[in-house]
Amino acid sequence: MTNTAPQTADAHSAPGAADFAARAHQVAKVYGSGDARVIALDSVTVGIPRGRFTAIMGPSGSGKSTLMHCMAGLDSVDSGQVYIGDTDLTRLKDKQLTRLRRDKVGFIFQAFNLVPTLTALENITLPMDIAGRKADQQWLDSVIDTVGLRPRLKHRPSELSGGQQQRVACARALASRPEIIFADEPTGNLDSRSGAEVLNFLRESVRQMGQTIVMVTHDPSAAAYSDEVLFLTDGQIVDRMVDPTAERVLERMKGFDQPGVAAR
Amino acid sequence: MMAKVTLRNLAAHKIRLVLTAIAVILGVAFVAGTLIFTDTMNKQFDDLFDRVGKGVAVDVRAKKLTDDPMDEGLSAQPVPASVLERLRSVPGVKNPTGNVTGYAAVVGSNGKIVGTGQNGPPQLGVNWTPGGDYDMQEGRAPTGPTEVAIDAKTAEKGKLKIGDTARIVVQGPPQRLKVVGLIDTGNLMGATVTAFDTATAQKLMLKPGYFNDIQMATSGPSETELQAAVAKVLPANLEAITGTQLRDDAKSDVATMMNFFRTFLLVFALISIFVGGFIIFNTFSMLVAQRTRELALLRAIGAARPQVTRAVIGEAIAVGFVGSTFGLLLGAGLAMLLQGFMMQDSASGLVFTPTPIIASYAVGIIVTVVSAYFPARRAAKIPPVAAMRDDVALPQRSLRIRIALGSLLTAIGAALIALGLTGGGGNPVVPVGIGVLLVFIGIAMLAPVISVPVVKVLGAPFAKLMGTPGRLAQQNALRNPRRTAATAAALMIGLALITTVNVMGASMRASVEAQVDDQFGADYVIEPTGAGGADPGAVKQVAAVPGVDKASPFYSANAKIEGKRAFYVAGDIGDLAQGVRLKMVTGSTSLGTDGMMVDEDTAKDRKWTVGTTVPVSFPDGKTQQLRLTGIYEKNQFLGPRVFAEPVYMAHTANPAIDGIVVNAQNTDASTKAAIEGAIKDHPNLEVSDQAAVKEDARKQVDGFVTFLTVLLVMSVIIAAVGVINTLALSVIERTREIGLLRAIGISRRQLRRMVRIESIVIAVFGALLGIGIGVAFGAAVQSALEDQGLTVLSVPAGTLAVFVVIAVVIGVLAALWPAWRAGRMDVLKAISTE
Repeated sequence: MTNTAPQTADAHSAPGAADFAARAHQVAKVYGSGDARVIALDSVTVGIPRGRFTAIMGPSGSGKSTLMHCMAGLDSVDSGQVYIGDTDLTRLKDKQLTRLRRDKVGFIFQAFNLVPTLTALENITLPMDIAGRKADQQWLDSVIDTVGLRPRLKHRPSELSGGQQQRVACARALASRPEIIFADEPTGNLDSRSGAEVLNFLRESVRQMGQTIVMVTHDPSAAAYSDEVLFLTDGQIVDRMVDPTAERVLERMKGFDQPGVAAR
Repeated sequence: MMAKVTLRNLAAHKIRLVLTAIAVILGVAFVAGTLIFTDTMNKQFDDLFDRVGKGVAVDVRAKKLTDDPMDEGLSAQPVPASVLERLRSVPGVKNPTGNVTGYAAVVGSNGKIVGTGQNGPPQLGVNWTPGGDYDMQEGRAPTGPTEVAIDAKTAEKGKLKIGDTARIVVQGPPQRLKVVGLIDTGNLMGATVTAFDTATAQKLMLKPGYFNDIQMATSGPSETELQAAVAKVLPANLEAITGTQLRDDAKSDVATMMNFFRTFLLVFALISIFVGGFIIFNTFSMLVAQRTRELALLRAIGAARPQVTRAVIGEAIAVGFVGSTFGLLLGAGLAMLLQGFMMQDSASGLVFTPTPIIASYAVGIIVTVVSAYFPARRAAKIPPVAAMRDDVALPQRSLRIRIALGSLLTAIGAALIALGLTGGGGNPVVPVGIGVLLVFIGIAMLAPVISVPVVKVLGAPFAKLMGTPGRLAQQNALRNPRRTAATAAALMIGLALITTVNVMGASMRASVEAQVDDQFGADYVIEPTGAGGADPGAVKQVAAVPGVDKASPFYSANAKIEGKRAFYVAGDIGDLAQGVRLKMVTGSTSLGTDGMMVDEDTAKDRKWTVGTTVPVSFPDGKTQQLRLTGIYEKNQFLGPRVFAEPVYMAHTANPAIDGIVVNAQNTDASTKAAIEGAIKDHPNLEVSDQAAVKEDARKQVDGFVTFLTVLLVMSVIIAAVGVINTLALSVIERTREIGLLRAIGISRRQLRRMVRIESIVIAVFGALLGIGIGVAFGAAVQSALEDQGLTVLSVPAGTLAVFVVIAVVIGVLAALWPAWRAGRMDVLKAISTE
């Protein structure tokens, strides 16, 4: 079922925009100048299908994190457009961008990034509190029960294990029912069992709650939890794989590690 | 919600909060202490003046001749007793009473005058008037020329009781009078009161048949009606004022003085607060830097920029509030201490008005919020993506902008100072104050640039001597020049001002000594302490001492020339010329009976030449044409003008000798002893030789320098807290790095040494900056005041060296706690901390 790169490239023009939760259109991003010039994204066009769990994979320095930061509106692009739903992020000012992140986007970070002085529950409701909105209690309860944090709600992050902390982070991302959740190496700091728990939970939220999730990872077994994997190398989407397994992803990744393929 | 994040943050970092708050607490305590103390003093003065002019409807006194606030001496025209008689016939006038007020000091049983010296509370002599300002506590009213009543507190201090014979020093010969009564004066705050019967009072303190003023009550008409009626019968040189105005005048004199005092202290309080602002700014900058990730996270999950700014500002408000509260409490304690130090006979406790409370909170919160504003703005600029990166640095503006802006501010500040100091005319305080402020901010902005080479040089010996810890310390101080600079800048401000004061003090001492060497030609000068003059009898007694060639008195008073108050000296100039090393430019010193001399500047200003006649008005209401006989070189002892002695005598009701210039054959100890023996009946007279005159001047300057230095020390203490703060926060920030150093084998001692050296380097850098600026300021002030006698610039190198040593000590002390903390850090935890 391995597809080839060109088919992914026309994602923006194929189905209606409504089928994509987020899209990037010919996005380019360059860091530094002169000798230090690094092309992080080289005219990337990609769509993230709604209600699916998409993984972005690639070797270090492939630009996968940059792509995610740009699509999430955390970082600016040098050229091209980025859409979340129908909104072109590249046209937004900081204020509107902040509002969009607040209302439509959820984040899960590698380093958990919880506020150390707040309890687990306070961390979960933080985005809604910042927005000055009341949490939907029923939804909140179901999220908390799904991540299994009910008994730990009053604890501070320092009193929680890494897996628990990341589950709090997941709950925080889900609690406001965003259109799309971006997860940056969510299992990078976890042991394999905790990692599996978090990934299972992310997959379930897609299957059962219809959530859209984009996850950046370099771990093939993490990618195997997703519905579809996009492969990124040297700032370009080079391949995609639907219904991946860890073995097939690993196999595909090996190809990038060969000199001459990765270094164009 | 952001409020919750803010509050939790505060609660989680109590030490950080306390350290930041200390800067606020100390500054606010200074403000609150000043305000509470001055309020308390005001209250006591109010109580004191409630007695003054009680029941007086109209007061008759001499008209003020000029608007000059120092006019008093000029307008002290006596009111003839005949006016009193005339007033009795004015309808509505009830109980007109003539008052005599002057100088009369009580000599205690130990032979010393009761009360303080030259500038302390006054020693008042009055005529006893039944139903007047005071009540008799014990005994009876004085009658006749041999009796006196003194206030009960003075009697207690001088160990005198009713029936004793007390020595009373007045302007004329000292008196021996029998104490017949003790007066209840209430709280006079150190002043003394001596009462005589009216005739005796007139004879001793004024002129027989004259009063200082006449007060009267009313038998019906209102104050203003009576005032109008009274005014009709007065001669032209007298005026009638209402009792209300009299009471207000008495209060406003004190209010003016208290306002000045309050402003003076508040200036120093504001300096402390300004320094505190630097500390707060620095602390919040570091807190924001350390919380970059957290703040970025808040931004990533949807916090808008203003929300982040508000969160940081909210923290500042909380710190300001807590700091102000404790500052206010500490301020009350400070006021109590001040009251104990500075006020005698203080009866009442502290007075609390709403002003200090409002001012404390306003100042504390505003200074914290303003100082935290820029860090808060910077916090909001953290890009959300920073939440996902490991090595984030806050966006820093380039140093080039800083250099430009810092240089510009320094230049503008220096220009303002120059303008203020040389501008003459206008009030120099405002431009100089703003100029100094701008220079400090400008230099603080430049400091990061200056710090790099200076810290390199300062740290070099440590790096050489102490090996790795020394080198690391030097690198740490260099790592964040802005932080090093901001910390040092706080210390710089206090030391710059202290240095300025010390340079000015040293210059004043040197100038006075140069003047004494240059212009003090007399062997001895005898001067009275207190407000009364010397007794003419003393002049004769001194002249009669064997070995004394000449003893010549001089006088000083105010007159009015061309509508302005003009201070003059009078005396036998032939005798005085040698004593003051008078150098004539032109003309002669033979003043005759209507002559005057002025110095070059005055002559040039007024375009007078020898032979010009000038109309001069005197306190007795008369105007005399004085003839300019000579022009002399500027002379610090004579001042701008000298009048013939007969001119002074003719227009002065009660001549007061300002001092006696003595020339002797020998200036040995026995001559001095002989002179002192001759005037032993005059405890208010002091004999000084050249060395003593210098010593007196030195003491006065030293007292002044010490006083200002103590007031400025508060800002240095606040700056020291700032050094602690910076170091403690850097240690926390470098937890990982310190753990690494420990893991690879650096010892606790070496680690502590590293922190200590960094601290010393920062402190010494601040001290050097401050001393540099202080010397520049001091030199500027000296050159501006050169015309007014500050002729010599003297930089007290020894004292300045001591300051550097003190900076080292501050560095060592400030490092104690942070160094201990760094040493105690758990290695494993330190490494695993994010």
